[in-house]
Amino acid sequence: MANKSVWSDNRFWQRSATWVTGFASVLLIWLTFDTSAQISMGDDADLKNGVTKRVPGPTVINYKITYEMDAKRGHEVPVIGEKEKFFGRDDYSEEEAGALLHLGKLGSQAKNCMDCHTLLGNGAYYAPDLTKSWLDPAWGPEGSMQSMTGKDTKEEAMAEFLQHPSQYPTHARMMPNLGITAAEAKGLVAFLKHMSSIDTNGFPRNFGKIQGAVHGK
Amino acid sequence: MFEPFVDVVPSFFGWLNQGPLTLTIFLHTVIVLPMFWIYKQEKARLEREK
Repeated sequence: MANKSVWSDNRFWQRSATWVTGFASVLLIWLTFDTSAQISMGDDADLKNGVTKRVPGPTVINYKITYEMDAKRGHEVPVIGEKEKFFGRDDYSEEEAGALLHLGKLGSQAKNCMDCHTLLGNGAYYAPDLTKSWLDPAWGPEGSMQSMTGKDTKEEAMAEFLQHPSQYPTHARMMPNLGITAAEAKGLVAFLKHMSSIDTNGFPRNFGKIQGAVHGK
Repeated sequence: MFEPFVDVVPSFFGWLNQGPLTLTIFLHTVIVLPMFWIYKQEKARLEREK
């Protein structure tokens, strides 16, 4: 038999394919567990002890959240600051805050926010991204949205807008009235506040360029 | 060219994801290098069988 080349030998390709498939499987299984660990939600103790988690616990709604440029990482990161009243309270227990976030999450699914908005990058591109909407200065004390609703706090202004969106001319693309109740609106605002505290590695990329979004600048 | 690794939680996958080259070099290393070894083994086997 003439010299048989390794390149035309079945066993060489079989073994190579086995190696690549096996290695990729191990890598993907490892990646799954690595990701689960990184996106697991923190708890109240983490917040009190200053443990930084990508996804803070639900009681983060008791705290002030700001968006600050992190020079080392090269993008803005949410910073959890001192206590801040949320609908007049800053002592939500883990259960209460968790129930509120759950209500907001179910509400966001029931009212299908993603039909128009994106949440954490998922959804439609018709209306603004809601990932950092809590930090949008338009809802702040000097913001146009807060003054339009005539409320004194960010959370009340957002809840008022969510209950009667069609009353407030905001955009060429106005939000329709979805029949959101007061309780649902409170849950949705809590859900949005918690979402803004998630460290998304600077996503959405240009949010920090909104006037006033980063540390009031 | 080399940036400090500044992810929140240091992780192997964070390191791998820093840029296109880190992933490319890593995958080529772990896929191609063992193939050289497999190639040599199969070549030796074919010569033995001849």
